Amino acid sequence: MTILRAERLVKHFHAGNGWLRRGGVVHAVDDVSFELAAGETLALVGESGCGKSTTGRLVLRLIEPTAGHVSFEGRDLFALGEREMRAARRSLQIIFQDPYASLNPRMTVAQMLAEPLMLHGFEPARRRDRISEVLELVGLAPQHAQRYPHEFSGGQRQRIGIARAIVVEPKLIVCDEPVSALDVSIQAQVVNLLKSLQGRLRLAYLFIAHDLAVVKHIADRVAVMYLGKIVELAPKDELFARPRHPYTQALLSAIPVPEPRLRRSRLLLEGDVPSPIDPPSGCRFRTRCPYARELCASAVPPLVEQDGHATACHFWKEIAASGAAVPDFASVPPNPRLERLQAAFAGRAS
Amino acid sequence: MTALLDVRGLRTAFQTDAGTFNAVDGLSFSLEAGRTLGIVGESGCGKSVTALSIMGLIASPPGRIVDGEILFEGASLRQLSPAQMRDVRGNRISMIFQEPMTSLNPAFTIGEQIVEGIVRHRAVGRAQAREQAVEMLRRVRMPSPERRFHDHPHKLSGGMRQRAMIAMALALKPRLLIADEPTTALDVTIQAQILELMRQLRDETGTAIILITHDLGVVAELAHDVAVMYAGRIVEKAPVEELFARPEHPYTVGLLGSIPKLNLRQQRLPAIEGQVPNPWNLPAGCRFSPRCPFVTRKCRAEDPPLIALDASHASACWYAPLEPAKLVQLA
Repeated sequence: MTILRAERLVKHFHAGNGWLRRGGVVHAVDDVSFELAAGETLALVGESGCGKSTTGRLVLRLIEPTAGHVSFEGRDLFALGEREMRAARRSLQIIFQDPYASLNPRMTVAQMLAEPLMLHGFEPARRRDRISEVLELVGLAPQHAQRYPHEFSGGQRQRIGIARAIVVEPKLIVCDEPVSALDVSIQAQVVNLLKSLQGRLRLAYLFIAHDLAVVKHIADRVAVMYLGKIVELAPKDELFARPRHPYTQALLSAIPVPEPRLRRSRLLLEGDVPSPIDPPSGCRFRTRCPYARELCASAVPPLVEQDGHATACHFWKEIAASGAAVPDFASVPPNPRLERLQAAFAGRAS
Repeated sequence: MTALLDVRGLRTAFQTDAGTFNAVDGLSFSLEAGRTLGIVGESGCGKSVTALSIMGLIASPPGRIVDGEILFEGASLRQLSPAQMRDVRGNRISMIFQEPMTSLNPAFTIGEQIVEGIVRHRAVGRAQAREQAVEMLRRVRMPSPERRFHDHPHKLSGGMRQRAMIAMALALKPRLLIADEPTTALDVTIQAQILELMRQLRDETGTAIILITHDLGVVAELAHDVAVMYAGRIVEKAPVEELFARPEHPYTVGLLGSIPKLNLRQQRLPAIEGQVPNPWNLPAGCRFSPRCPFVTRKCRAEDPPLIALDASHASACWYAPLEPAKLVQLA
């Protein structure tokens, strides 16, 4: 069941300040459409400036779009009045990247969790129960309720951020790089937590990330963004096994894989991402694309679906046939000893 | 063959309001010419303090090297005067950082900054230094190097700044390059470019590299040997393929498990529970024991030394080599 539908979202920002606004227009998000089902995880991946975080803020209506629609459970979010929007926010929550910056240092955990409950009309008696319920869900102890953010480690702070998001029983959470500021071992704990919460609470996640290994682990479907556009959208196994867009292929071949024995050929991109103030004509990836031709400069490639796998490239069929540079992840031999040792860590997890 | 760099029993302490603690606590390793040693670990494990200790850049106060030897090309760096150390830094040992703006001066063009280093350490005139600087920019694949020579750092993209910093660090052909999280701030396609560049330059120049990172993927790409650090100590050391195929310390095992596998479908990640210990309040015995699934009474009482398992592989675990069947019985 689809709960969220983004249709042809566009967001332009005026660059520079001053009333003349001579900085030009940043094309942050340009014609982005996708759907999200209840309990599903859609990952938005891409590099800095690709528009993934702006998209996340648009679907929560934290910012207003230049054009386009977002409907949540069939209702157009941008058409809602202030009160209706506030009510809708109970279902729509967000977790931020930086657990240090996103918590109020002057509030205890209990106060932080009580605030949204109050706002959404939970009775005082119910509030206290709900707070202890949620603390337990995210793996914090009841006595943590009376502490302040600075008394916690980074991983624990992210658990508080998650608790604050789930306390009002939302249906959709935008997770904006929720683990990228955390150390590797803590990252794994939080990823496990997000996954188990999703199963228990039937949450839909719009999971914004740049770490493709984490995305492969947590997502059901993946949308790859480049300079404000979705260039490819597919179920994750399909995307990782048969990436069609040359940018996706380049991204996959660029991931540093913790496996020195991995055999791969690389598709190394030249240069930097162009400025979103003046994006290239036609296909925005063409200036870095090793397969670019004349047509790519003149016509914007539409996102075309075939077999449940959508690609925005004029020549993806030819490129796929030419044998793309995709790392052969299956070439890594299994390591039963290591898996048995790691099982001991998994067995210990709460 | 004598080592290019030999660190023995290094101990670097920091004084804080909460007391004194050893950020690096008895570290020993050596590095041969032309090799790349990856030092991996999480925040606070002491990997960056190790780098700054070698460079003689520990801010004092609050920090101080309290013990140990740092032998570079056979000479003790700790015995050098500040002036002698300045002759070594940027010349025979260079360093690059995660954030290029920490080593690039925003007030000067990148060309001027590279020239400055060359003139400071070599008996060449400005004109010749300028030629060398442009050549260096070309070697780091800076687009239009003659033009970029005249650009200030803020005009460059993140990837280009990283290239400029690498050009500056390698302009004097150092014997040792210390790279502290050199690609962490970069996007993945730019990271791939910089890693490829570092690999090529290393192979061309034979510069030895200490690569400090939290990213096991980056280590797998670039390092010949790896040292894994935890709470101020090296807990495991091995050639790169060996470390990933046959880790012999439970922390390494857990760290590898924490990264989602691209070749497997996993329900839960076998994560390490708990968190890194507070440096003022380290656990007794093995520092990893509170988080180790194989912990025994011995681990909680006695601190395991880093012991060689064979010529190239060492682990600081009482139960190395780790045998799954035996360990499960113990725990």
